[in-house]
Amino acid sequence: MVTKVFHFFAIIIIIISIPFNSFSQTQILKGVVKDVQGNLLQGASVSIQGKNNGIPTSADGSFSLQLPAANSKIEITIVGYKHKVIELKGESTITITMQEVTSQLEDVVVVGYGTQKKSNLTGAVASIGNKDFKNQPLSNLANSIQGKLSGINVTSPSGTPGAGLLVSIRGAQNPLYVVDGIPMLSESNSALSTSFNTSGEEVGQGQNLSSISDINPDDIESIEILKDPSSAAIYGARASNGVVLVTTKKGKSGKTQMDFNTYTGYQQVAKKIKFMNAAQFVGMAEEARANDLKLYKADNNVFGPGFDASVLTSPLEYKAGATNTVWLDQIFRTAPINNYVLNLKGGNDKTRFYMSASYFDQQGIVIENYFKRMNARINVEHSVNDKFTIGTNLAMTKSNNRRSFNDDTYSGIVTNAIGASPLMPVYDSKGNYSKFEDYQVSWLSDNPVKSAHEIRGFTESYRFMGSVFGEYKISSNLKFKTSFSADYSAVTDKLFISPITTDGGPIGGRATKANFSSIVWLNENILNYQKSVGKNSFGALAGFTQQGTTSDRIATAGQGFPLGSSLTDVSVAAVITRIPVLPGGNNRLHSYLARLTYDYDGKYLLSAVMRSDGSSRFQQGKQFGYFPSVSAGWNLHKENFMAGAKVLTALKIRASYGFTGDQEIGDYQNKPLWQPSVYNGQSGLSPKLIVDPNLTWQKNKGFNAGIDYELLGGIISGSADYFVNTRTDLLNYVPVAGTTGFATLLTNGGSVEDKGWEFNITSRNISTSNFKWTTNFNITYQKNTLLQTPVNNQLLSAFNDLSPTHILQVGQPIGSFWGIKYLGVNKQTGDPIYQDNNKDGLINTNDAQLLGHARPDYFGGITNSFKYKNLELMVATQFSMGNKVYNLIRPVWENLGYSNGGGVTQIYANNSTNSLKRWQKPGDVTDVPRYSFINKNYIENSSMFLEDASFFRIRTVNLSYTFTKKIIKFVNNVNIYAQVQNLYVFTKYKGFDPEVSSNGGNLDKTAGVDYAAYPQSRTITFGLNLSF
Amino acid sequence: MKFIIKNILLYSLTISVLFSCQKLDVSSPNDVPAKEVFKNADGLRSAVIGMYATMQVRDYYGAYYPLMADLNSDALTQGGYDVVALNEIGQHAITSTNIFAEHMYVAMYKTITTANSILQAVEFIKDVNLPEDERKTIKAQALAIRAMAHFDLLRMYGYHWDQSSPFGISLILKVQQAKDIVARSTVADSYTAIIKDLTDANGLMPVTFTDAKFANAIFIKALLARVFLYKRDMVKAADFASQVIDNGTYNLLDVDAFTKIYSGRLSSESIFELSFDAQNKSFYNGTTYVRPEALRTEVFFLASQSLNNFFTLRMDDKRSSLVDFVNNDAGISPDGRTLKFRGEVNKDNPAYIMRIAEMFLIIAEAKAKSGGGLSYLNQLRTHRGMQNLSSSDVPDEISFLQAVMDERLSELNFEGHRYFDLARHQQIQTVVGVSNQKAVFPIPQRELIATNQQVKQNPGF
Repeated sequence: MVTKVFHFFAIIIIIISIPFNSFSQTQILKGVVKDVQGNLLQGASVSIQGKNNGIPTSADGSFSLQLPAANSKIEITIVGYKHKVIELKGESTITITMQEVTSQLEDVVVVGYGTQKKSNLTGAVASIGNKDFKNQPLSNLANSIQGKLSGINVTSPSGTPGAGLLVSIRGAQNPLYVVDGIPMLSESNSALSTSFNTSGEEVGQGQNLSSISDINPDDIESIEILKDPSSAAIYGARASNGVVLVTTKKGKSGKTQMDFNTYTGYQQVAKKIKFMNAAQFVGMAEEARANDLKLYKADNNVFGPGFDASVLTSPLEYKAGATNTVWLDQIFRTAPINNYVLNLKGGNDKTRFYMSASYFDQQGIVIENYFKRMNARINVEHSVNDKFTIGTNLAMTKSNNRRSFNDDTYSGIVTNAIGASPLMPVYDSKGNYSKFEDYQVSWLSDNPVKSAHEIRGFTESYRFMGSVFGEYKISSNLKFKTSFSADYSAVTDKLFISPITTDGGPIGGRATKANFSSIVWLNENILNYQKSVGKNSFGALAGFTQQGTTSDRIATAGQGFPLGSSLTDVSVAAVITRIPVLPGGNNRLHSYLARLTYDYDGKYLLSAVMRSDGSSRFQQGKQFGYFPSVSAGWNLHKENFMAGAKVLTALKIRASYGFTGDQEIGDYQNKPLWQPSVYNGQSGLSPKLIVDPNLTWQKNKGFNAGIDYELLGGIISGSADYFVNTRTDLLNYVPVAGTTGFATLLTNGGSVEDKGWEFNITSRNISTSNFKWTTNFNITYQKNTLLQTPVNNQLLSAFNDLSPTHILQVGQPIGSFWGIKYLGVNKQTGDPIYQDNNKDGLINTNDAQLLGHARPDYFGGITNSFKYKNLELMVATQFSMGNKVYNLIRPVWENLGYSNGGGVTQIYANNSTNSLKRWQKPGDVTDVPRYSFINKNYIENSSMFLEDASFFRIRTVNLSYTFTKKIIKFVNNVNIYAQVQNLYVFTKYKGFDPEVSSNGGNLDKTAGVDYAAYPQSRTITFGLNLSF
Repeated sequence: MKFIIKNILLYSLTISVLFSCQKLDVSSPNDVPAKEVFKNADGLRSAVIGMYATMQVRDYYGAYYPLMADLNSDALTQGGYDVVALNEIGQHAITSTNIFAEHMYVAMYKTITTANSILQAVEFIKDVNLPEDERKTIKAQALAIRAMAHFDLLRMYGYHWDQSSPFGISLILKVQQAKDIVARSTVADSYTAIIKDLTDANGLMPVTFTDAKFANAIFIKALLARVFLYKRDMVKAADFASQVIDNGTYNLLDVDAFTKIYSGRLSSESIFELSFDAQNKSFYNGTTYVRPEALRTEVFFLASQSLNNFFTLRMDDKRSSLVDFVNNDAGISPDGRTLKFRGEVNKDNPAYIMRIAEMFLIIAEAKAKSGGGLSYLNQLRTHRGMQNLSSSDVPDEISFLQAVMDERLSELNFEGHRYFDLARHQQIQTVVGVSNQKAVFPIPQRELIATNQQVKQNPGF
């Protein structure tokens, strides 16, 4: 009903405000724009005051503008210079000199449903522009904000090309991505799990591909991150984890400009774990047996009654030839990376366009793996007349990913190469893959090189994102904008496991084919009112939006493929096998939103937002959530008492308080449903889930207080923020009595608090005409606390076949580790000592205790840029302190010669050279226990494998040179650069990379687990940017 | 032009208004709302199929329930990639956070939940296409399956051997809401509820319904025999077992054919065999055999060295051919692999929930030597190629019981009996070598937390 009244009102306004003004005669103005030193400025926007459609100056600083009247006012703007208004007195040529500014307060940032001057912001918004991330060899836009913005912790759980990133905004993970106003599906849509156990069942979430990688980073003009609930509240429904606003490039009127950007380079694994060579490996096995034999001789019952000591004396079958395989070298390679982007922008005062096409080809550092992407984009805007503007943004992406079976899978390539025997050759004397069964170590599930070549998985994705909009200026103060948009995605997964692999062998090979398609459509209708009376400015915005999502999945699997054939499609399989029903789904969201802003003379700023969302994911009566917020700011430097201040030239105090909501629970969780089930070849129904009839919105309330300041007119600038966010009525799966037939229930319950401090400083250390040095520094202190939970002390396991690895405990952060405490090595015996926490004389999982947490205590980054004439050097670094990682794969590669229980003819796995530090004789002081063949001198879920994963990373080093003289005909601008990405990581972490999360990282409750994730690479690129 | 613009705006607004009238109500294409399942006879039949499907999950009769129980005995030992939770069971040192114990617990109650939904609806469905006989058959099946699942829970998590113990199981006799919590009943009450369900089922089930893929008339009697044996009501145990044997529908295969129980499907020995097929695989092959060259790490459930020793002393026992201690990867020795679940391609090995051989063993044990149990023991031995035992071979009741226990181990290994048999006779300590408190699995920690400790833990965990 509210909507109907609203729409009726809007129609009336529109009808009244027609007809339009008409144009008068015109006159041409020509001119050039320069800076104080006399350098010609390209890209300055020259416009008639009050009109949006500025034209840019060309490379020689010149412009030509149609004037409506001889004595018009023109406005010139260019980033980094003071905005200038000139009142013309009939001139037809003009030279304009622009003053450089150091203050950033006049910069315009994108906020929800609009833009705002930085000086008018009352919430916490972080912003990053194209220049901060262009030229970087990255497939995922979130990579570009790594370490650059306070409060935002971006981690790379896997080095897989196209992999998802873990983006945490003030401690809340998985923000909403909005690309040019379209909320974008950001989760992985691939049905290929890469996480299997030995019986082929899924045991974890596996590798997480991000569909955010479908956006070409080069098309992005700016990224804004709405951190506090008051800024995000306008997106109420899904904004509880923060909002990432992505704005793509737009055309400008003026001469058509063409840019060609390319880079080429190569990647290598950033760190290799050093493993024992053949001699060290054999030495370990023999020392382990000798140690045990010594114990056995002292006490015949030490390994239990009836122990057969011959397993310690009879020679092990090593089959040691001249082989000394370094397995990591066999599966890793130096992999090329290439990128080509061509874009065009231009237009006239009626029509403006931006078009781009790009091709990105990243070969993986693990053999066979690659990610290729093609993008095309067209953004067009057309002014039908002075009042009416229409436009469209269209983007298409095709990507193809040759999957690498890694990231927490037993049969993964990296998983297998870790701990593979150095005695085993890759190929046998006949040139076949050598059989892993014939060589020492029982850890392997297949020859790793064979797995890489013979498990063929592809994920091919097509993505279309498009929107059309019309904006009508009803009066000089009132605008109405309506838009329709769609985000369509089609993903095809193909997997073929060849009959010569271990998994495929007994069944003659198997294959899976899966299709996923989804469409998210959105209609938004927004009325925007702006009015200034004297020093008072009012703004009002009201809107109605509706969104629907429909997705569909289908998958088939088959087994039995002709040996020696190249047939891999599921359609030729001998037997079609059943695979679990995959969920398709649909959902709807109806939202009403309103925002009021008021400012007095730019000094006192007030803003209030209200949004209401109704979601089909909840029961009727529980569908609507209401999310209000308020914020205020005070620009102290505009007060008289600060006028003329020399040091503190700008100071703003701001505070905000607001609510957002969360409904990210998947479809159909609100009804008790029965699912299809099969028995005896017949189809039937069985209960699927148990429901909470009161299921409703999760609420997030947040308080933010901050200051923005500038010293010495902007030579030093920055901000400081304090925030407290409390998420209540958490949508959570909580354990219910198993007697219900179900283990968990999705319900609202519990609350989590994130609070912390953020600091940002930008300092222009040196700024002369020849040499410039700028430093950016940001740091965030953050504490996450579980305040309340329906079921306290809930134990969780990162993988569903492991003992608990995490706990949810009130007073502790989410993602707290649970395990047995390792105290060190007994100096006399070389045995490990653990804390017998329950004092029952036994060491088992009942002794587990809290061991630490996955979240960092503080994190941030430092970026230094140096510019000498045309030469620029940029060094970006990133740090994170206090975070821990459960290195659950390390027990495999530091098993200290263990034979895995009864299988006493083989060592479990090869060891890293760290094991060489083991205890050898009484009196040795070390933290590595003695080698043992029979005893397991380690416990997986213990602090032995919980590592400090603090790090300092030199993320990007970029050296570039811009040619100012025209060196090529037709080319206005040439820029070349050399760059190293991920140059070095300072860390104590023993695995490949401390920024790891093998279960894809999306599950914050079981975060920080390493199960041989795909390692990170170091990338060296050389690039070229040309402007025509 | 103006006209067109005005129209466009009006249209877009009209569309918005129309869209906004759509309800915020969506329905799933792949599922059925619970309240629509039991609208008619067809829905009821679908739910019955679904009930059997719930038993096929890996954590119940898909493999784990019988194999994890056996693994906790002396007959099996664990392989696997050093899986902590599996090692705990294989080393008889299971803890309350054991993930397998947790999953099995919920899986069995899922079957009970489905049975309860059927039982709650079966009387009220009005449908001319539902003959009264079928209604009874369905009700009897649901009762029998509920009893079986309760009994399986009692064997695994309760003090089933001690009628005076408070450590029975939570008895779930109606469909639960999310927040419902049911405390544990005593062992005596648990038996009472199980026997009541089975007795009701026995009364309802038409005697002609004997399909071995389902909980049929004969299975109900056989399960009664098993339950009474555990309860030590020997007269009733022997009585029901005799009824099953005398019925004649199911009978022992000859010595040269008995391995068809495992290589074929639905042999005449199977009273209730939960069926699988290539489209709907079980997990027996993948956890006990995997592939001919499999390493120790790939096989979850191995035949233990002590089972090897056991069969070494029974030279003429043809059942020893079903355990292979020779043709394995060197890492597996001195343990071996069972050959009961071969078929690496289809992996459609069924769950042998009830076999006729067990009836002979129940009568033998129930009647004891003094009651003429020996002849039943010998009938089974004959069909497995073994010499008859003479009275002097088993001079007293103790040695006779040992002979029954051995026969049970030989016949029923890898089918989920050994651990419960040892527990019944309080032999965990003597045979397995751990405290008798380990004769039962712990109630999962998860359950204690979720029920706010209203469900109590077994002593010693």
